[in-house]
Amino acid sequence: MSVLRILLISLMLWPLCGPAMARALTEDGSVTLSGFGTLGLLHNSTDEAEFIRDIGQPKGADEGWSARTDSLLGLQMGARLNDELDVVVQGISRYHDTGNFRPELSWAFLRYTPSPAVVLRAGRLGWDVYQLSDSRYVGYAYPWVRPPVDQFGSLQLSHIDGADVTFKHPIGSDMIRLKLYAGRSDSTIFLTDDLEADFDVDKVYGGHLDYETGPWRFRLGYTEVDADIHYAGAPADLIRQYLRIDPDPFFNDMLGIDNLKLYSLGLTYDSGPYQWQAMVNRSHTVGDSDVDSGFVSFGYRVGQWLPFAMFSIVDTSTPGGEDQNAFGQRTYSLGARYDVTPGIALKAQVDRIHVDQPGFLWRNQDQDWGDSWATMFSLGLDFVF
Amino acid sequence: MNRVRASLFVLLLATALPASADIAVVVNKDSGISHVSRSDAINIFMGRYRKLPNGHLALPIDLTPLKARFYRALVNKDLATVNSYWARLVFSGEASPPQQLKNEAEVLELISNNANTLGYMDSAHVTSDVHVVLILGE
Repeated sequence: MSVLRILLISLMLWPLCGPAMARALTEDGSVTLSGFGTLGLLHNSTDEAEFIRDIGQPKGADEGWSARTDSLLGLQMGARLNDELDVVVQGISRYHDTGNFRPELSWAFLRYTPSPAVVLRAGRLGWDVYQLSDSRYVGYAYPWVRPPVDQFGSLQLSHIDGADVTFKHPIGSDMIRLKLYAGRSDSTIFLTDDLEADFDVDKVYGGHLDYETGPWRFRLGYTEVDADIHYAGAPADLIRQYLRIDPDPFFNDMLGIDNLKLYSLGLTYDSGPYQWQAMVNRSHTVGDSDVDSGFVSFGYRVGQWLPFAMFSIVDTSTPGGEDQNAFGQRTYSLGARYDVTPGIALKAQVDRIHVDQPGFLWRNQDQDWGDSWATMFSLGLDFVF
Repeated sequence: MNRVRASLFVLLLATALPASADIAVVVNKDSGISHVSRSDAINIFMGRYRKLPNGHLALPIDLTPLKARFYRALVNKDLATVNSYWARLVFSGEASPPQQLKNEAEVLELISNNANTLGYMDSAHVTSDVHVVLILGE
């Protein structure tokens, strides 16, 4: 797959685009097909570093225009077995850790809804670690071209193989939800252009409490990730060759990312034309570092237009020491979404990013790049069917 | 003169008032459900909590030609916002949207075959085959 192929398939799917999001494939409507996609075009103003959407992308967007960073296509099939049981399978093609657009199975689960108050799912599930995290590739679902990189760019996993259970309890017209999940997973992230970390996650578990009242929705979440990490690439080879030691424990000592505890607090306010969203997170590593991130976004719908402004930030801290693996930056974004038809949205966005330390949120950066500004201009066309 | 005034008044009323009909939320007439509150209807159609007042799992149906008016009346949101909301729920695997039907005949048929379905239609088109549980004024 390539951006070109995504473009061609999107053009073929064009007549389907619309609000249905569950096209019946069988007469009784028990088997449905739906999909989502983004054609994204990004302009990077700096020649000092390449922009990435997340740390799973091995190469970034160089100075000038790129369609690789944000373009993607997802397809979902659903089959309803009876009123209580259904199956969902979803695949996605995007530029990710394989260095190309090779399609990946994002979800494949059996869902059991024995009562309105309980939902059980088992199989491959979205990693619901933060508000929005399991729909972060569904551009049509949010105002921006992409969710804030400062917040979502350093997420390690996209899915887990396991099970989850959701309990819902209405209190008057309010709603309280508790979700618990556990499973295992694997993923590859890129720390630099030539050092990758293959996460073999033998344990990932967590949960969140969600409270919805009127236009407000609060969420408190906790997740722990325990991984065996295998490091590959030139730096790992050098360590093996010259120091004659296993690079895996060496990097684990240095980075301490083989065990992570993620705390999150999310808040949305959605009433009439107003759309507020805010989130703060702390990821605590076994190496005793903290990665703190957060964002606040405000949108106001005027007919088909949804102008928005967003601020996001990420910062790392290690108690009592300089950390050469630290990264930190803040982003000021302005943009607008225009809903062409129900099912198709156009977006434009400008990000002014102040990079204190690029760390692994950028690629191929100049040796002394830091304490600098970079400007990204993005265009997006999002669709669902 | 009075008659002229009276007929003018009637004419005025006729043009000012009844142009848009209400939307009726309807269920199977043998379901035993007499009334569904507005917040229950929001929970059911927005996929938050699909429970009928009789305790059964609710199966909502969308009538596509009436959808924009229905969601404007129910949650005061336009179709683009409702679709964007559903895109998040559908593609995160959290919930499935209501089944989409194209005309009232299909809605009536499905409701008469399944006691757990909840649909809506123009209140002017309600027949004795279904029972009205909620009226949404526009």
